[in-house]
Amino acid sequence: MIVCVAVVGHQNNPLYIQSFTEADDALKLHHIVHCSLDVVDERVNNPKKSGPTLNETFLGLLYPTENYKVYGYLTNTKVKFILVTTDLDVRDVDVRNFFRRFHAAYVDAVSNPFHVPGKKITSRTFAERVSNIVKSFGLSSTG
Amino acid sequence: MGREVSESCIDSLLTEMVSSYCNRFYANKPELAARRIEAIGYQVGHQLSERYTMERPRFSDHLEAIKFICKDFWSELFKKQIDNLKTNHRGTFVLQDNRFRWLARMSLDPTAEEGVPQDPAALAESKAAQAMSMYLYFPCGIIRGALSNLGIPCAVSADISNLPACSFVVRIKA
Repeated sequence: MIVCVAVVGHQNNPLYIQSFTEADDALKLHHIVHCSLDVVDERVNNPKKSGPTLNETFLGLLYPTENYKVYGYLTNTKVKFILVTTDLDVRDVDVRNFFRRFHAAYVDAVSNPFHVPGKKITSRTFAERVSNIVKSFGLSSTG
Repeated sequence: MGREVSESCIDSLLTEMVSSYCNRFYANKPELAARRIEAIGYQVGHQLSERYTMERPRFSDHLEAIKFICKDFWSELFKKQIDNLKTNHRGTFVLQDNRFRWLARMSLDPTAEEGVPQDPAALAESKAAQAMSMYLYFPCGIIRGALSNLGIPCAVSADISNLPACSFVVRIKA
């Protein structure tokens, strides 16, 4: 189950952060997202470790914490998408799929002429699309 | 990509935008009009670069980003690629389009100037060139916005010394 998704700008400023669970403290989830930004920077700036996947947008599993798995995605415009999930068996293809749809929703939100680049995304349509994508995460898997 | 836009609508919109800013909003202040038009182009380029880089892996250096502008980005906007790319390898790139689409239907008529006694040809030509240069601030802004969004701050200017070819000079800020 996805507990949190976040969009972080190129100066590590939060553009959108949404948690999907009432159980956990929102602050704790924000903290996890914040820590994962360091991992993203390390992955991108360390070419020897990353190898052939250096320029891919999908960064994969960033780091596992006690209960969560954190996945990262870095666009060409240096915008980071962070996904925090509690699932134990997450398929790589599901996460990639998720990020692809999330990226499409983000591009549509940013193309809104009333959106100010660098400020938080306040579009309700974006929030609805994101919650739809989150709801259908992993549902298409046939096990 | 989904929905399409009529090209004549784009042409009319651009013509009207330049006309409004130059003749109504900032009449007699062409520098301010130019800055406003370029700022609009900046926002458009910013948003377009977000959309057109969606499916591709990240660029490893400035040259790859410039090549993206010359090939894919220009193809999406103008249905053709940049014809010639030159660089001095020190942060300046010249993108030459041999038939820039947004200027293609404009005619320069220097003989339309009346009653100018001395050096009529040069004077008329510079006025026409100045009028035409107003239409170039928008594409310059688009290029600047797209490159800025890709992490490359720069200054973009246009050069129309040999029409119908149009060159865009991109100077990357260090």
